[in-house]
Amino acid sequence: MKRPKIAFFDFACCEGCQLQVANIGEALLDILDIADVVEFREVMSEKWDQSFDIAVVEGSITDHHAIERIKMIRSRSKLLIAYGSCATIGGINGMKNNFELDEIRKEVYGKDYKYFDTIKTMPVHHVVKVDYFVNGCPIYPPEFITVLKAALSGIPYDVPDKSVCIECKFNENICMYEKGLTCMGPITRAGCNSWCINNGNICYGCRGMVSNPNEKSAKDILEKYKIDLNLILNRINMYNKCRELEDNEQKRY
Amino acid sequence: MQIYKILKKSNLDSLVSILSKKQKFMAPVSKGLNKFAFESVTSSKDIALKYIPTILAPKKYFMPQYETLIEYDTKEGQNMKAVVEYENMVLFAVHTCDLAGIQCLNIVFSDRPKDLNYLVRKNKITIIGLECNEVCDEYSTCAFMDNDLPNGGYDLFFTDLGEYFIVHVNTQMGDAIINDTKLFEDATVSHINELEKLREKKRKLFINQFGIDRQKIPELFDKSKESQIWDDIGNRCLSCGNCTNVCPTCYCFDVMDVQNLDLKTGKRIRVWDSCQNETFAKVSGGESFREARSDRKRHRFYRKFKYPVNRYSRFFCTGCGRCTRTCMAKISLLETLELLIKENKVK
Amino acid sequence: MKKQILNNSEYIIKKAKVVRTKKLTDLEKFFEISMPNNESLDHDPGQFVEVSLFGVGEAPISIASSPTMRNSFDLCVRRVGKVTSEMHKLEQGDEIGIRGPFGKGFPIRILEGNDLFFIAGGLGIVPLRSLINYVIDNRRDFGNVNILLGCKTPDSMLFGDEVEIWQKRLDVNFNCTVDKADPDWAGNVGLITSLIPGVNLDPDRTFAIVVGPPIMYKFVIKELIAKKIPERQIYLSLERHMKCGLGRCGHCQIEDIYCCQDGPVFCYDQIKKIRGAI
Repeated sequence: MKRPKIAFFDFACCEGCQLQVANIGEALLDILDIADVVEFREVMSEKWDQSFDIAVVEGSITDHHAIERIKMIRSRSKLLIAYGSCATIGGINGMKNNFELDEIRKEVYGKDYKYFDTIKTMPVHHVVKVDYFVNGCPIYPPEFITVLKAALSGIPYDVPDKSVCIECKFNENICMYEKGLTCMGPITRAGCNSWCINNGNICYGCRGMVSNPNEKSAKDILEKYKIDLNLILNRINMYNKCRELEDNEQKRY
Repeated sequence: MQIYKILKKSNLDSLVSILSKKQKFMAPVSKGLNKFAFESVTSSKDIALKYIPTILAPKKYFMPQYETLIEYDTKEGQNMKAVVEYENMVLFAVHTCDLAGIQCLNIVFSDRPKDLNYLVRKNKITIIGLECNEVCDEYSTCAFMDNDLPNGGYDLFFTDLGEYFIVHVNTQMGDAIINDTKLFEDATVSHINELEKLREKKRKLFINQFGIDRQKIPELFDKSKESQIWDDIGNRCLSCGNCTNVCPTCYCFDVMDVQNLDLKTGKRIRVWDSCQNETFAKVSGGESFREARSDRKRHRFYRKFKYPVNRYSRFFCTGCGRCTRTCMAKISLLETLELLIKENKVK
Repeated sequence: MKKQILNNSEYIIKKAKVVRTKKLTDLEKFFEISMPNNESLDHDPGQFVEVSLFGVGEAPISIASSPTMRNSFDLCVRRVGKVTSEMHKLEQGDEIGIRGPFGKGFPIRILEGNDLFFIAGGLGIVPLRSLINYVIDNRRDFGNVNILLGCKTPDSMLFGDEVEIWQKRLDVNFNCTVDKADPDWAGNVGLITSLIPGVNLDPDRTFAIVVGPPIMYKFVIKELIAKKIPERQIYLSLERHMKCGLGRCGHCQIEDIYCCQDGPVFCYDQIKKIRGAI
């Protein structure tokens, strides 16, 4: 790729991942040394109406307009990176799928709800092909840079299929379970260098679950710690509700 | 001839201060909640002299979590240089279980083909052992594994005898510390008698919980490949990899390249890996050869109690108890061994 | 952190050159590789090398050529992972890194003077090609030679030109089968196991050498035993992920065996009781 063009886009999200990218600091200057950022709403006002090499997409797909728009972006880009939990696994937005769509619309838009389109929340790869995934809410900037390097050199990147505990132990943290707290680390994908736990927080499972989580045992453990089963399910569903779409509807692109 | 010296407790801080000025000085420190970790210290007051096995074993200094093997430059072809990164350091207050763990790693990495990264780094580390006067907790099985008393593998070995440490000088490197710091005195017969008394007392405290001879274990494992026990603990296992990370003798690793942003230069590193990870024994065609958790659990136990006995005539369990302490699913090494013994009626 | 250069590290790669490439199928590409100064790789048939592309990684690849070819060696690579996909982009003159050869290959000294029965399924032909060509290059040192080749479809067959030569040789009995034929296919259709009963051999002095996908072994070995070939005269090559090649990283371990050092070629008699091997 000769000075590849990179464009950033957002769908249903808080734009926090864009903020993470904007805050990368020095490494961002190095990226700008080797690539042109042609569109990035949070940091620049220019728009780009031609094709680009890498589309970096934040946010989940939540209405028909979004489906059309993401298809358009895909058709203009050689590669597509989905970044952030909303884009990669549906994330927090997936909680909408706990309810009937009309119920949700009424709650949000009031009596005129019929004018507001909505669909079940989907991660980007349910609608178009995604070449690279950067999981996390927000993304872990070093992983974003790793993925960007892989994309720029045309090498695949595999989101680690092992638990956050792996990296948490590398960092020699005291286990949250020792502190009497519940933590999604054991069933959540690594790659964040156990960012939250290093800073005293528990893991909320924002990176999605490992490919074959031992959910039964995880629930048993939490029950042993006398934690209400609903709380556990809520914990799991907070970021991972869209998983059900894959189980039931096989809608994976 | 065995050489013993004495270090008054009041001189410990001077020792730490002198040695930590010359190189990194690593010692166990308290992290709260009865958890400890080896960290860099400059004063004896930061050291936890009474500690139970640290979260990670001192293997992290011998084979770091992330370790550079090669620095490459592909601007003009596949150019590279192989490197080892190291730090000169004193590793202080290493318990006998962890000394045994380091000995296991030494054997593995000096086996042919030799691993120079490990072997170079190992000789930059001075090891000062520290005796456990009491059993740390109910999870340790060090007496069963014969690691409750020192079996070498250190430069100096400290035993806390109240007002002073009695220090066994095991190597020239250890003797250099004695001579350079001038903080040590000669031990007298009465000091050595005190040490003997402690060891005598320890014999009653450190007991083999299993009631069988350790040497029966490989035979027990011969008969237990198809045991239901592996399914039971496999069902409970989360495959989080905690047990292998904290284990002082687990040394499996992954090798990967890390690019710099110029996309031309970078390094090839090795990273701790775990046989408990889902993808560990997967081949690129997609087949995974230890897909079942029970197979992975069995593999780990056999890698402690059977395979290394075949290969190196040595158990790769040191009895430190870390795997049990760290397991959220409460899979206990001690209980698992007990069940296997019971199942096979070994006496 | 201090740093020291290691001149003897086992991780040092040798800079090799791609001499020639050829697309074999949609998935497989052939490479002829020469080592620095055309030095011989000096391998045994059945051994493998670690192929390195910095920035991407390393992958274990079976050597496809006979050691009788001394100035270069062949690899045949299926595009399945990171390194192999990147390798497919390589062309003549490109540089790659090589470590090895590693492992224990086929037991040539034991095979000498005996009848040989080669059975290759799918990509298994790649390491077997090394041995078959070695045997053909030293043909009078071996007894009867039978080759059975199986693949999914006619167009997935590798080394078609060479297969044709084997077929024509009077000192080699060759037969092949495909799982699924196409209209141009006039040969056998069906699993490779169906061809074994019809092979004429003297089980006492026949050594069977089997290489194929993991699923194939169980069934083929059953047929070989039915032919009364002794278990200690059956050899096979196991596929595992040899990440370091040095018997350490643990990825290729089966019980207490490291495939990269103790294998990948094993005698069936030696591994039949090893859980998870076959």
